[in-house]
Amino acid sequence: MSGSIVLALRLVTTFALYGFLGWALFLLWREVRNQGTLLANRRVPGISLTVRNGTASPILKHFAQPEIIIGRDPGCDIPIPDDTVSTRHAQLTYHHGQWWLEDLGSMNGTILNEIALSMPTVITSGDEFVCGSTKISIALSPNVMIEPTQRLDKKNDR
Amino acid sequence: MHDLTQSRLLRWAAFFLFLESTILTLSPAVRERTWNVNYRLSHWIGYFVWLGLILIANRVIARRLPERDPYLFPAAALLSGWGLITIWRLDEGFGARQTIWLSVSILVFCLALYLPKNLNYLKNYKYLLLFGGLLITACTLLFGTNPLGFGPRLWLGCCGFYFQPSEPLKLLLVIYLTAYLADKINIRLSSGPLLIPTLVVTSLALLLLVVQRDLGTASIFISLFTIILFLATGKRRILFGAIAFLSIALFAGYFFIDIIQVRVHAWINPWNDPAGDSYQIVQSILAVANGGILGRGIGIGSPLLVPVAISDFIYAAIAEESGLIGTVGLLALIWLILGRGLIIAIRATDRFRRFLAAGIVTYLGIQSLLIIGGNLRLLPLTGVTLPFVSYGGSSLLTSFLALFILLVISNLEDNEPALLPDPKPFSILAGILAAGIAVCILATSWWAVVRAPDLLERTDNPRRSIADRFVERGKILDKNNNPINITEGESGSYKRVYLYPDLAPITGYTNPVYGQAGLEATLDEYLRGLQGNPSSLIWWDYTLYGTPPPGLDVRLSIDLPLQTRADELLGNTAGAIVLMNAQTGEILAMASHPTYDPNKLDDEGAAISQSESAPLVNRATQGLYPIGDLLSPLLMAKFGNLKPVDSEILDYYNTLGLFREPSLNMPVAPETLNPSITSMRVSPLQTSIAAALLSNHGNLPIPRIALAVNTPEQGWVVLSPDEKPGEMLPSEASNETAQHYIVEGKPYWSHMSLARDGKTTITWMIAGTVPDWSGTPLILVSALEENNVVLAEKIREAILDLAMNE
Repeated sequence: MSGSIVLALRLVTTFALYGFLGWALFLLWREVRNQGTLLANRRVPGISLTVRNGTASPILKHFAQPEIIIGRDPGCDIPIPDDTVSTRHAQLTYHHGQWWLEDLGSMNGTILNEIALSMPTVITSGDEFVCGSTKISIALSPNVMIEPTQRLDKKNDR
Repeated sequence: MHDLTQSRLLRWAAFFLFLESTILTLSPAVRERTWNVNYRLSHWIGYFVWLGLILIANRVIARRLPERDPYLFPAAALLSGWGLITIWRLDEGFGARQTIWLSVSILVFCLALYLPKNLNYLKNYKYLLLFGGLLITACTLLFGTNPLGFGPRLWLGCCGFYFQPSEPLKLLLVIYLTAYLADKINIRLSSGPLLIPTLVVTSLALLLLVVQRDLGTASIFISLFTIILFLATGKRRILFGAIAFLSIALFAGYFFIDIIQVRVHAWINPWNDPAGDSYQIVQSILAVANGGILGRGIGIGSPLLVPVAISDFIYAAIAEESGLIGTVGLLALIWLILGRGLIIAIRATDRFRRFLAAGIVTYLGIQSLLIIGGNLRLLPLTGVTLPFVSYGGSSLLTSFLALFILLVISNLEDNEPALLPDPKPFSILAGILAAGIAVCILATSWWAVVRAPDLLERTDNPRRSIADRFVERGKILDKNNNPINITEGESGSYKRVYLYPDLAPITGYTNPVYGQAGLEATLDEYLRGLQGNPSSLIWWDYTLYGTPPPGLDVRLSIDLPLQTRADELLGNTAGAIVLMNAQTGEILAMASHPTYDPNKLDDEGAAISQSESAPLVNRATQGLYPIGDLLSPLLMAKFGNLKPVDSEILDYYNTLGLFREPSLNMPVAPETLNPSITSMRVSPLQTSIAAALLSNHGNLPIPRIALAVNTPEQGWVVLSPDEKPGEMLPSEASNETAQHYIVEGKPYWSHMSLARDGKTTITWMIAGTVPDWSGTPLILVSALEENNVVLAEKIREAILDLAMNE
């Protein structure tokens, strides 16, 4: 009798051990899922770029993605048919709640507000930068914002 | 969110340990199979202290580190609680000490959480910390002791509490190496001068440990140095170099350091010396094997058979009582800590924190794998502890400090990881640790499932004799169900009692020290209940209690009145008597003198086994005596008055079975490989089988002594012999010979012979009922180790008269 009771307890003990592990795995899975949802729900504030190249008429472009690559390559987000622009010249990225401009090791460099860019730099509305002989001016539209991280966490926890 | 995760996991851990403690409380009732026992309660102190400490620590962590990793602390808490309850189970004194150590460790852990969170103090005081650690470790050279009173003196002790400085030294080395390497931005292997300080410091520590003979810690140091350097430089050749260096060091150590030689021998070939140098590893493997898949349940196994089960072999102790399923859980918990630790390292915000986290993961991982691998015979044994689980204050404290550092690093307010130029070393490290865990799971399954049945049947598995104390062994009965050997006492103290000690050379003994002999050995499977019982019952009893079911009674062909008479007649004369049913081969009496009293084996065992008169030998079946002309009746029955040549005689003897082992399930003399007429020797049993043909119309019987076994389902089941009796001679020839040797006025024939054996004379006597005897056909053989024809005649008349008049 004692043996059967203790055997049942032993099985429940194993269940508890694996309950711990299973629960940990479940929470880890949920963390991955939440992280994914979080990133998927992240809204990037729109950015408008005006590209002026020599005498040609300026082109206005709108973006709602977190990464914009500028270069001579036709696959770039902003392709510029200008020999003074490198294949992949510079990129604009959105992280830490800011838009950043970064030179991708271009031949002629990127100049932001008349200063040569040496490290990723935060940009704001009205800034202007030059790739080769192409001038690009920036306009941010602050009305579209990302959802705050905290609130999403709490919502998923319930 | 993090707080909730952590609290829920801690609830599971507390539930698990509550159940373990409950089982431990009930375990005596299971072992003795009754509710009327002393229940184990003391370990509940450990459980409640653990619970309180964990609650406090949980609060402090939630307040101080809101963004830390929520999995690490619950996993460590479960491991330390599991270790604590296991230590209470193994030894209450050490359990109480470990409870104190756990309190100290968690209080220090909580206090440390109030230190500045940037860990810069570790970086700034790296040399101070390391040299402080080295200095204290060096103190053990002068003031070192060992709590056991022997062995390497690695501890500093006072007032009953001991501290092993080489434990925190590992953590200090990790801190120093990572702090130093994180400051050097671009390390190349060619830039040797940069590495010199680390090399010097590591070698200094190594030297200290080698002098101390703390080789487990020394190998951890080499691994730590290598892997941290590998993480910092990303050069794989460092790993290969370290493997080469370790091999050379092992090779050199093998020749110069005794303990390495012993350990390596014990590792490569443990079965050569299972009672000596490999005792620990063999017992550890037996414990894992006894655990099987489900484990015996805490408190129900016998993990104390493994030496130092509380620290070095705690994995084997857990494997025995929680089984494969429990150890897989244990390894998964370790992997949870290591895996989360590596993620913390990757996400860390600067190089120092990243290297430090990875270094701590390496330290915890390598040390766990080293000792678990040692327990499972994957690696040579190294006396290191299993972090969080093993007994030992210094180990526990160091583990919790390592956990503290990991938690602080994981507490990211700004989730922007530092740049990682080359992620490969981290994935390689994760691969090495995961592969190590996987190999440990495979090795545990190998011992616990694949090899377990063979291992548990080894005679040096002490669990068999422990089970004998808790389960009643079957009785050995005579022909008329009179008891010969029985088991007395209560569960927990069963003892074998031998009611008829003169039969000892035949029925043998079963003893926890001296093992088994005679019929107790050959019928062991029945007497122990492993054969004859339904396999479902055997499985169920093993699952519930870890023991076989109650044993089955075995009935012998021995007839106690005849046996008593034979023993009386033989008295103090050395020799043997065999009385057999000439037709069925049932042995009615078998005496071998001098004999011994198996009831006194515990006190006199050594004297008995070394006695010159060899009382342990069964002279009737194992004693080989020269033959003289004893077999002339048999020659006459075959060849009449012809003179056969030697080869014909040998062929004839061979067909009579005089040179092979009689098929009787008890120890018999080995077969004679190159028989010759002049030097041949036979046992009384072989003689009685051959001579039986004269009383059995020329047919040879198959000898039998164990007749039947009393099974629970079918009652008495006959144990029939494997062989069929064969016809040897035409019955006229044998009957004629029997008539020729008939004793005047008696219904039996007989022949005697004297044979020289060195300085002694052997008196042989064979006798048998006449072929037309209407009762049981009998054959009687006696061999006396002295010239005593009078006694031989007396034996013949007394026994045959008694047997034939029954």
